[in-house]
Amino acid sequence: MTAFAESQPNAPIRGSSEHFDFEISQRPDFSMITVALHEGAQVFAEPAAMASMSPSVRLKAGFKGGLRKTLGRAFGGESMIVNTFTAERGPGEVVFAPGVAGDAAHYRLDGGSLLMQRGAFVCHGPGVEISGKWQGARGFFGGEGLVLLKASGRGDLFFNSYGAILPVDVEDEFIADTGYIVAFEDTLDYRVSVLPGLRSGGSLKTFFFGGEGLVCRFQGQGRLWVQTRHVQSFLSWVHPFRPASN
Amino acid sequence: MRHDILSRPAAAVASLTFDAGESLTCEVGGMIAMSPGFEVETTTRKKNSQGGGLIKGLKRMLAGESLFLNHFTATSSDQTLILGPRLLGDVVHRRLHGGAMIVQGSSWLASSSDIEIDATWQGFSKALFSGEGMFWLKCHGEGDLFLSSFGAIYEVLVDGEYVVDTGHIVAFDDTLQFSIGKASGSWIGSFLGGEGLVCRFSGQGRLLCQSHNPPSFGALLGPKLKPR
Repeated sequence: MTAFAESQPNAPIRGSSEHFDFEISQRPDFSMITVALHEGAQVFAEPAAMASMSPSVRLKAGFKGGLRKTLGRAFGGESMIVNTFTAERGPGEVVFAPGVAGDAAHYRLDGGSLLMQRGAFVCHGPGVEISGKWQGARGFFGGEGLVLLKASGRGDLFFNSYGAILPVDVEDEFIADTGYIVAFEDTLDYRVSVLPGLRSGGSLKTFFFGGEGLVCRFQGQGRLWVQTRHVQSFLSWVHPFRPASN
Repeated sequence: MRHDILSRPAAAVASLTFDAGESLTCEVGGMIAMSPGFEVETTTRKKNSQGGGLIKGLKRMLAGESLFLNHFTATSSDQTLILGPRLLGDVVHRRLHGGAMIVQGSSWLASSSDIEIDATWQGFSKALFSGEGMFWLKCHGEGDLFLSSFGAIYEVLVDGEYVVDTGHIVAFDDTLQFSIGKASGSWIGSFLGGEGLVCRFSGQGRLLCQSHNPPSFGALLGPKLKPR
């Protein structure tokens, strides 16, 4: 059994922590994350994610977490630079808007960890560590699909997607196309494979001609977020309109 | 099969719940996520149909559609399948009761396996010279049909006559008669006005239109990109 976790899919998401209040508005097509920092509080973001901010907030760009973590992030497709926003002169707000039009989601880490698709990370509060995660053979087979970032610790995390985000509570098993995975809790066991039709007795044809490419099979209990559109598939639509080279 | 359309209208997907034995034919690459209890089969033709498979498949490919179709059949009850199109836009459901609908090829997302999909339908062959790169499918039978649009979708109940730019057509009942023609009185006027070819419908039936025109958008992006 698997159930969709959200009852009001287009409603704003609001919440607060000891460091800031936040709101994700304009969902799901043009989502923006507004973080209202308490005085002295900090939020850490992917470069270029900031759209606007109060004058009381100071932006400092820099490496964070040492060489190994920095390279890990780069491997996960994120920038090596992390921007730190500090409300130095009184409280202030920062508005983050992801590079693609789409949805955004909030997740509170409480000692566990969350795996994110490359490019999905937007920003996080104090207490969260982001690192690249080598997927071994599983990542290799993912190709374009499955290079993951790992977020762990205790604190708030925000991520984004192209298209809307559908949260799914996996209760035993679920399958998603690797290109549509946004994030998942690491309580889920996962394995990249071809469509189930290929299993014993299945036909190779489904894999090679089915267009469904690679899927990720999740097992166990935990939450999975999938996006409803895929940048790669939009690019493949645009491709025939490009001029032919001479 | 129960269906929900989620995250409308710009990033819409169809979320379908199947009982054991129910099956659906889907555009290749349309699957986003699914429960484990499905048997997936790729064929060049309608599931379980006999004969003419490859030829029909080739015709589909010539029509610009993929040669291959995916069939999802639920092997146990309460199985979920999430399907989405490639472009930003809406998804709608229509139930066919033995009648037929003509669907613009890239707007077809999925249909019940009982619905016959015929890409050899030649009604719009006259429009091929327009260079808009479109193809048309004739879907008929009894079952569910899922269509997608680029942008928003709107339905027009035609009773009499109605005129639509060919790039804005999603689908229409085949009870409608139509002819392809120019938008203005003269060819020069039509092209200067930016309205290439239009379809003049007459009769009675449902017509589904999309707010945005995919070939126009592609023609806008293409020249700005590196040659392929």
